[in-house]
Amino acid sequence: MAAAAAARATVLKHLRVAVAGGSLHGGQRGFPWLLANSLRRFSEEVRGSFLDKSEVTDRVVSVVKNFQKVDPSKVTPEAHFQNDLGLDSLDTVEVVIALEEEFGFEIPDNEADKITNIKMAVDFIASHPQAK
Amino acid sequence: MSTASAAYLARRAAQKERVRILYRRALKDTLNWAVHRHLFYQDASNLREKFDANKDVEDINIIDKLIADGEASYNKWRHPDPYIVPWAPGGTKFTRNPTPPSGIEIIYNYGREDND
Repeated sequence: MAAAAAARATVLKHLRVAVAGGSLHGGQRGFPWLLANSLRRFSEEVRGSFLDKSEVTDRVVSVVKNFQKVDPSKVTPEAHFQNDLGLDSLDTVEVVIALEEEFGFEIPDNEADKITNIKMAVDFIASHPQAK
Repeated sequence: MSTASAAYLARRAAQKERVRILYRRALKDTLNWAVHRHLFYQDASNLREKFDANKDVEDINIIDKLIADGEASYNKWRHPDPYIVPWAPGGTKFTRNPTPPSGIEIIYNYGREDND
């Protein structure tokens, strides 16, 4: 069921993109807004709707920099929340929740426990199809 | 008190994980109840102080009891209509428009069918 939701979300993302590039479907019967044929095509491409990794890194770093307990100059893309930035484990939880709010998606509880540095957070978000 | 046996450490690690998950759920619940952001910040700092007050407790049984109390009060205060991200399980958009199975397409011959 999660796979269906993930595939559906990727399709929705592609629908957004395809409106701008409507000239791709020149062979259809003049219904540029009916993408039923292209639905079939796009549901096989699962890669394209994930966010760009550098953009994700920038946004994650800016969220962590805005955190009150963090020294902004120490935040690098390789920083570990507890070792480098001096955060508590509860602070790590708060940072993960702030990232969830920033990107607008939901992390399950057992996955959220495992995110302990910025690199893992970036990897998780970049590989999640519903991250905006 | 600092018996560094594997069972003790495993129990402590499990407790830390329970505390983290409890804090996460309690913080989200606080956001569900206090929708306005300035109220949420106030309530979130209160919650954080409650957690921080018990930070240095060493006795493992007392920690267990505190975690059980925390989980009980979390269950008591759970919001009946929490905000769930729409495409997450339980949200409104979850499996709303699944992709049609492959190999099926719509034939656009409206008005041109041969049947009556």
